[in-house]
Amino acid sequence: MLSVLKSRPAARVAVIGTYILLVEWTRALSSNVSHAAAAALILGGFALLLAGLGWPADRLGLGKSRLGFRILGGFALAVVLLLPAAARASAAPILPAFLAVPAIVVSVGEEIAFRGALYAALDDIGGVPVAIIGSTALWTAAHALSHPPEFLFAVAAAGLLLALWRWACKDLVAPIIGHVIADLAL
Amino acid sequence: MRRVWLLAAAAAAYLLAAWMVAPGFYDGFAPAQPYNWLCPPFHVAANQPPKSGSLQIKIIGGVSDANSAFTDDVQVVIGFLPGAFDATGKTVIAVDIKPVSPCPKPPGLTFVTNTYLITAGAPLVKKSSLLMRYSDIVPAPSTVYYSSSADGPWTSIGALSEAQPFTIDTTTDKLGYFAAGYPTNSVSHSSSTTWLLPLAIALLIIAVLVAGIPLAIMRRRRAGVEGEPDESEP
Repeated sequence: MLSVLKSRPAARVAVIGTYILLVEWTRALSSNVSHAAAAALILGGFALLLAGLGWPADRLGLGKSRLGFRILGGFALAVVLLLPAAARASAAPILPAFLAVPAIVVSVGEEIAFRGALYAALDDIGGVPVAIIGSTALWTAAHALSHPPEFLFAVAAAGLLLALWRWACKDLVAPIIGHVIADLAL
Repeated sequence: MRRVWLLAAAAAAYLLAAWMVAPGFYDGFAPAQPYNWLCPPFHVAANQPPKSGSLQIKIIGGVSDANSAFTDDVQVVIGFLPGAFDATGKTVIAVDIKPVSPCPKPPGLTFVTNTYLITAGAPLVKKSSLLMRYSDIVPAPSTVYYSSSADGPWTSIGALSEAQPFTIDTTTDKLGYFAAGYPTNSVSHSSSTTWLLPLAIALLIIAVLVAGIPLAIMRRRRAGVEGEPDESEP
């Protein structure tokens, strides 16, 4: 099975994409169960992290080179992601403290899964355009159960921005930092 | 340079898309503050109609008792002190709270809550506290508006410091129509947590600028010394 996945990039994309979608949708549905939200988020976040297993760090966009730039980029992405909410401040729900750790785990998991493993797998079969558009499309679809339809344009635009950063800077550290800060704030 | 422009365009597209839905993109971890709308915003998919409320206030020794009236969904709570009503000749005073339909839309004002009509069987003689809850998917109101008629005119009766998230408090010495909102041309909203997120964003912007400028200068110098192009791979 693993050898088939290694030799067939399209099959790899199908397996990773299906796995990520199932994890995200399961997480979204189980998060609605009373008293199970935090556990569902943490389990879902770790399940997403599994998608990055077996990939070299540099293929996922991870690395220590130019760390200052990557961290700063993460702050800049966080500013962009949070700017609309900050502009109308109190319309934004404040994340309860007990959901802080789950939010971090899910944010990191989503970045590793979508802009890390899925992006790399899509890059292998169709290059950068397929990686950016495909990872953004699946990211949007993954949020279809947890977000009202009206939010999906913003979700898609956020996915596109993070994927473009992943391509332009060959970096996943900044999207991870930006995503974590955004999820901790909201 | 093309990459920078693409990133900038994507950021602009995101800002536009996120601005169209309050509060903007978020992963939805924060528990929602459900609100029962009479006239829901266009982006509210599921909605329950708002509830009414009523209360019978006893008259004890010729003085109206202290009590609170609230709607069954607790979107409006009004608290009365002892002797809040002119209880002359009364044995009990009925207080009713009802959502008002059709929803008033006064020019120049934006209501972010339902409008409620609060009536009582006797006139108020003491100020009473009024709490109105609002949704987390709309901008916070800056004040509570009062009117003696659903058609207006509407008068701001102010807002006290916020006791709980997504609530606005005030006091009133008369009953009638109430709604929380803000002047349509205003973007400022009162809330004790209002400043937290903007402050965090301001600090992040400062951090990016303070750390980014030296980083950019260092990169430029290094590129100049090594003869590398400015947009080297990470």
